Amino acid sequence: MNIRGDAQISARGFQPYHGPRSGVAGAVRSVSVESMRATLGLGRPARTKIFPVAAVAIAYGPAIVFVGISVLSPGDLLDPNDVADYASYYGFITLAIILFSALVAPEVLVSDRRNGMLAMYLSTPLHRGTYLTAKMIAVGLTLGLVTLGPPILVLLGYTFDGSGPDGFANWMATLFRIFVSGVAVSAALTAVSMAASSLTDRRAFAAIGIVLVVLASPILAAALVEGAGLSPYWWMLSLFSMPFELVNRIYGEAGDFPELSTAAVIAANIMWTVIGVAIVIWRYSKLVIAR
Amino acid sequence: MSPIIETRGLVMEFPSTKALDGLDLAVPPGVTGLVGANGAGKTTLISLTLGLLRPSAGSISVLGLDPGSDGPTLRAMIGYGPERNVLPDDLRAYDFVRHLAEVKGLPRDEARSRASDSLYLVGLGEERFRALGTMSTGQRQRVKLAQAIAADPKFIVLDEPTDGLDPVQRDEMLNIIRQVNREFGIDVMLSSHVLEEVERVCDNVVALDHGTLVAQGSMDELAGVSGGIEIELVELADRPESVDQIERLLREGGATVDRAGTVFNVVGAADDELFDLVAASVAATGGRIRRLAQRRRSLDDIFTVHADSGSQPDGGTRAGARSSAP
Repeated sequence: MNIRGDAQISARGFQPYHGPRSGVAGAVRSVSVESMRATLGLGRPARTKIFPVAAVAIAYGPAIVFVGISVLSPGDLLDPNDVADYASYYGFITLAIILFSALVAPEVLVSDRRNGMLAMYLSTPLHRGTYLTAKMIAVGLTLGLVTLGPPILVLLGYTFDGSGPDGFANWMATLFRIFVSGVAVSAALTAVSMAASSLTDRRAFAAIGIVLVVLASPILAAALVEGAGLSPYWWMLSLFSMPFELVNRIYGEAGDFPELSTAAVIAANIMWTVIGVAIVIWRYSKLVIAR
Repeated sequence: MSPIIETRGLVMEFPSTKALDGLDLAVPPGVTGLVGANGAGKTTLISLTLGLLRPSAGSISVLGLDPGSDGPTLRAMIGYGPERNVLPDDLRAYDFVRHLAEVKGLPRDEARSRASDSLYLVGLGEERFRALGTMSTGQRQRVKLAQAIAADPKFIVLDEPTDGLDPVQRDEMLNIIRQVNREFGIDVMLSSHVLEEVERVCDNVVALDHGTLVAQGSMDELAGVSGGIEIELVELADRPESVDQIERLLREGGATVDRAGTVFNVVGAADDELFDLVAASVAATGGRIRRLAQRRRSLDDIFTVHADSGSQPDGGTRAGARSSAP
């Protein structure tokens, strides 16, 4: 009988597992990745992809147009930076970012409470703190798709067109500013959108709440500053403006609120982030998972 | 053999109710049935076991660890199948099981292969790529079992795993649970309000009522002992009073008689004495026996005795149906 030495059984059925386990870090990573997949509709039916694809398309559309203009315009007829610089790019996609944040956080947080996954997750090595960490990473990274991706695309497009930053040092400095700007815009919106999503078990309510907070805050701030004549520092209440104002400061521009110091703009963003995170932590510490 | 779960004076109070009241438990390895009516405290005990709740007083240890302080380490060794039948509808069964196996710490490739293996084990091999929302209740219950075992836990906790299943599906689910314990050495605690299935599949029983312990021990200890004698008498046309006379004589002889028509459940001190008493009573009245059998005490009897002793579980409904706890 001819016996081959390389024979092996590939399907052994259910067997005990004695290998390594990744612990809490692996659990956080897995929940973050799966939450991002859920938000983007990956591994889900086509209908769940419609809104994220639309939001991403809106965010990346202007970048593609700007790069296209840069590439197709003859010679030096048009300086692409005259069309849109990196700081002002966010002005074109503000709505897409806000809508995306209203989509992402409710999907990531509310769904788990509604479909029983929260109790399932908390029966794993995760506890409430590590679970929320995983979810914040997921929301932040997913928002990064629209806050970081398009400016990086613009940078790469301009660079390949020969109209990007001069020299490696400038190029790296621009990339760094893009990164910090993306994180700055994502941080406050992540915290506030998660806070809204922690307060209701309805995704639609959470989404509406996020949009209302973002859109109502500048109206309130304007009423206080321009209507009631209070200090311009009340503009710090404007969640709609402060993240993008911080982006202007990162690029060394005066922005739309020159009366505010950069420290105040940074403080406003930190304030919104801390308030959002505090609400999420408070809400989940009070949540009764099971009896 | 060290217990899987051990509690000492375990108390769990919520603002409006005391769900567990001074529970002293020692759950040995094997398949353990956690029985009791709705509100008995089963789900609270499960939540404490998993560290989802902190006890108001007393202590609990699971696999020798404190769920409060050693939660992440402990929960990596426990599988959990919740009672809720609400799962992410859009997710495929395979992705659901794979993801939770990863969260339990398995490497990605291992989680993938074990997701398929565990779904095959529970009989969903061909269905594993279907979305959970398109699955029947029975299939979803199997998916919950598959995800509980996929990461090869030492111990799994299943909350009402047969809820919503028809009799055939229930039998299949119980067989799989038994198989998981016997073939793979995974200890199981399953909560149920259906006593028959606990009797059928479990080695040990913990019975709760309104947060207190009704009984705990092995099935042999609790339900294997005699439950008395069941006799069915013939109603004679020429001596119709003999049935009543036999009942009276049995009671006078010190037996407890639960009568339904001509069928008596007779419970007394010892079976030998009961047989003698029955024989003497029938002979004295000239009656006739159609059927006589020794009864095996069931979990239902345990709950019935508990209900008779004062407490009325399940909102005052006494254990009547053989198929469910009081």
